[in-house]
Amino acid sequence: MSQTITIDPVTRLEGHGKVTIQLNDQGEVTDAHFHVTQVRGFERFSEGRPFYEMPSLMARICGICPVSHLIASAKACEAIMSVRIPHTAAQLRRMLNLAQMVQSHALSFFYLSSPDLILGMEADPKVRNILGVAAAKPELGRAGIGLRRFGQHIIELLGNKRIHPGWVVPGGVTEPLAQAKRDEILAMIPEAYANLGLGIGWYKQVAENFKPEIDVFANFPSLYMGLINEDESIEFTDGALRLIDAQGNTIDEGITASKYNEVIGEAVEPYSYTKFAYYKPLGYPDGSYRVGPLARLNIVKSMGTPKAEKELAEFKQLANGPVESSFYYHHARLVEMLYGIEKIEQILSDPLILDKHVRATAGVNRLEGSGQAEAPRGTLNHHYRVDENGKMTWANLVIATGQNNNAMNKGVAQAAKHYIKDGKFSEGILNRVEAVVRTFDPCLSCSTHAYGQMPLILTLVSSQGEVVDQVVRG
Amino acid sequence: MKSTRARCLLLACGNTLRGDDGIGPWLADWAEERFADEPGLHVISRQQWTPELAADLAEASAVLFVDCSTSSQAGSVELIEVHPAQRTEGVGTHQVSAAELLGLAQELYGSPPRKALLLTIGAGSTELSEEFSQAVLDTIPLACEQLQSAVEKMLACC
Repeated sequence: MSQTITIDPVTRLEGHGKVTIQLNDQGEVTDAHFHVTQVRGFERFSEGRPFYEMPSLMARICGICPVSHLIASAKACEAIMSVRIPHTAAQLRRMLNLAQMVQSHALSFFYLSSPDLILGMEADPKVRNILGVAAAKPELGRAGIGLRRFGQHIIELLGNKRIHPGWVVPGGVTEPLAQAKRDEILAMIPEAYANLGLGIGWYKQVAENFKPEIDVFANFPSLYMGLINEDESIEFTDGALRLIDAQGNTIDEGITASKYNEVIGEAVEPYSYTKFAYYKPLGYPDGSYRVGPLARLNIVKSMGTPKAEKELAEFKQLANGPVESSFYYHHARLVEMLYGIEKIEQILSDPLILDKHVRATAGVNRLEGSGQAEAPRGTLNHHYRVDENGKMTWANLVIATGQNNNAMNKGVAQAAKHYIKDGKFSEGILNRVEAVVRTFDPCLSCSTHAYGQMPLILTLVSSQGEVVDQVVRG
Repeated sequence: MKSTRARCLLLACGNTLRGDDGIGPWLADWAEERFADEPGLHVISRQQWTPELAADLAEASAVLFVDCSTSSQAGSVELIEVHPAQRTEGVGTHQVSAAELLGLAQELYGSPPRKALLLTIGAGSTELSEEFSQAVLDTIPLACEQLQSAVEKMLACC
């Protein structure tokens, strides 16, 4: 009898999604899907608004990565204005984006995934949360909280708000950096290094214990894409996109925001509200690719900062070519956090960082514009069209989660096929399937967030629609 | 990181766009003004309480949580003692309770505040609005009185 297993909702994610697993008559997994069950609609309701409102409107998409939306949106507006922002404004935005990356990665690694890594995939769900982490490894809990506060406090100092800061505007930023704020950020750097050192050291000790998971957590060849500088170092705010193949060969690069739409397409599947991005020359689904920390480390030749450079060299030793298992998103996140702290320190030593000229002004000089940036989860592109008065007539956003969508679906299927035999599953197996999705740290709703309090129900349904088994959690 | 170093921490919660849910932030603003000359009081107001706040709690001698309550009678004012929660299923990253925050402060830093109180104001409506319901408007003087008294006692004893 064929059956369908449903995991709804998937927990410890940003937003709401579910997983369905199809079994054949022999109880073998034939297919699996990760469904994003929410509708966003931001593109549509931005129509008719003045384009200069877009950054603050688009930031409301997400409470975790609003800075990436602010930056991509402001850059799309600047393409419409045809302005180049002042050097100091570009550096300040870069620092803001890195601060967000650090706090978001800390949330993903220490809060959402470390319960599995510290307590085990089979641990009692009652303790598989941040309180459980605090009890088992308080020093790691403190490190995670410290890194979250580090990123959040920099965002608050620069943008005057921890969430949805209105400081990034078309043309630059609204006010320069004060010396007292620069000194306050510099004073936080040593503690951030210490906290991250704890996290990296602990992860390296335990990672190999998860060899079975590494082998089947979305471990397959794919394309990878991310922003990169001309010197082939990692970039989060400027630069252009590079795409590599499964062997590590560059298949396209220099993809600017305006060229993005020429080479990236979006497919639609009936089971998800999130679209499936793909590289147009290879078509869908062959042109599917991965973005985010794993992809970024796979495409770059250097981190551009000394401590992260050493960690990148070690990361590259994990494979002879691109690192394929999505389990290593965790590792890549830690390397990127180290880069973020180092780069923030470097930016603060820029002799022009306190310069007062931080904003360029202009009106509508083009009727179309695109902007791109790296969000913590991967590449983000905003594409706008306006009329001659600057009123928005059309918008399209391609977010990181859509670009990882195909890989997440393949990853869920790979893990389900490995772990589910004869139609039987346990709570620990259910958690492993969810953990595959967690490695990507997808941001599904970009607005509402909750986990844990929600019920999680895994149901076996016969081909006649009868419920034959059910596991209820929460 | 900016340190709280407070003898008394006032930690408010609420959304000013959701009617009576905004009473927590409103009382936080009131307290900040009322105790402007009191360096021993540190006020933090958030839309949600998140785990990071455990670090602020660990640095305070006493804490007064301020929030609205949807389970109490509209306009009622309650002041109760709060104790650290034990490890519980379903604790979130985007929202934790006062007791869970105290539990985190204890587990992570070993030093929760010696005194912890929760002041709640019964909500009449939490629908989209920047206005309070009449029940909450009527009770604001009592809520302010209770808050002031609680803070003064905490500052005196901690």
